[in-house]
Amino acid sequence: MINNVLKACIYFVVLVLIQVWVLNNIHFFRVAIPFLYIYFILKLPTGISRTSILLLSFLIGIVVDIFSNTPGLHAAASTFAGFCRQPLIQLLIGKDVMPDLPPSYRMFGIGGFFKYVLIMVILHHTTLYLVESFSLFDPLSLLIRIVGSVILTTLLVCIVEAFNTDSLKSGEK
Amino acid sequence: MRELIDFLVRKRHWFLFLLLEIISFAFIYRSSVYQRNVLLSTANIITGNIISVSGSIRTYFYLSQENRDLLTRNGQLEMELLELKSLLSEMSADTITFKGYKSSPGADMEDRQFDFITARVVNNSVARISNYITINKGAKDGITSHMGVVSDKGVVGIVSNVSDHYSVVLPVLNPKFRLSGKVSGSSFGTLMWDGRSPRYANLSELARHVEFAEGDTVVTSGYSSAFPEGVIIGTIASFKKQNDDNFYTLQVELATDFHALTNVRVIKNNAQTEQRDLEEEVRSND
Repeated sequence: MINNVLKACIYFVVLVLIQVWVLNNIHFFRVAIPFLYIYFILKLPTGISRTSILLLSFLIGIVVDIFSNTPGLHAAASTFAGFCRQPLIQLLIGKDVMPDLPPSYRMFGIGGFFKYVLIMVILHHTTLYLVESFSLFDPLSLLIRIVGSVILTTLLVCIVEAFNTDSLKSGEK
Repeated sequence: MRELIDFLVRKRHWFLFLLLEIISFAFIYRSSVYQRNVLLSTANIITGNIISVSGSIRTYFYLSQENRDLLTRNGQLEMELLELKSLLSEMSADTITFKGYKSSPGADMEDRQFDFITARVVNNSVARISNYITINKGAKDGITSHMGVVSDKGVVGIVSNVSDHYSVVLPVLNPKFRLSGKVSGSSFGTLMWDGRSPRYANLSELARHVEFAEGDTVVTSGYSSAFPEGVIIGTIASFKKQNDDNFYTLQVELATDFHALTNVRVIKNNAQTEQRDLEEEVRSND
């Protein structure tokens, strides 16, 4: 339990710092920005209650917001993603197996995990860009931005997960 | 009753979800850009310090370009100095006492309308729709909101949030940004960004009788208190007539390269408060 809390804290700090120091400065082809901090929401253990997921998602969103000068924007998007997480996991692996582990390739299988990441990222990014573009609506460039960022974030999350020794270990237990 | 409470407890994450989303949207839509909470931006001291780490690293990537630009600028200024010196010597040869020139610099500091405060960009974005820039000077250095910000090439934006040591700038690349600009020597229009490319902005509501050509320079009109007249905004890339046919909309290629922005100057207008107060008074009397 304590171990899990500590791990979550480390994930939180490291992902926020990577997001604000490095990834916020990346504008791939001037359209796509990777939002890796969603990895934090993806990797919360499955045993955790839905209210805690919501609160943690909101928290990481608002912290990223503060560093990007966009109060509320990331908070709204990641709260929504956090809200959709539990039903999505149940949909993907069925209601019967629900061990208290962070989602990983082992838990879902490679295809299943990819699907999980892709859907979560699409939900998050679509909310993010839709809310952001309320002030200025331009459907084509909006679509390009969403698709670009979704591809970039999904790729990044899958790569990080593949190299994450922590989840390899916990999968073997 | 029991069932109702049971239901509420079971569905508590729904209520929490709604509550959190309402809080988020309240943050998004609360008041204007200029009156946002400093706590929730990179202008506050903790976040400012953290974010400036990446800013100070990024500065190194653009050092050579920055250097080249400074050299060019230096050359230009030197040329100007030589010209002025020769003019001055001509004039002082003509007349024994030249009243227009004061020998001690700083004697007329009080009368000068505009001052510069140099600052470094610590955080910058160009790919979003609402872009913001954070700079490493704040209220302690004499910066207040509504001040104009320029780079060595042209207009950058207007200061929106200020803390003691940092400020957040609303750049041209933000749909909330408005600036009155003009094509050199003629009537004026409004500069806005359409959210597409960080290299172009639009100058709209330009009267139809105005004559211009592609490549002409667009400068600030001096009507806003933030910028003096004649600061370069960019050059005309293309133009089209607006739907109602009475105005032109120009596509302006911005002079400032927002990707490689590292050093900026904040313009301190010593008469700004006076002008703004006066304009506010007139507006409130309406």
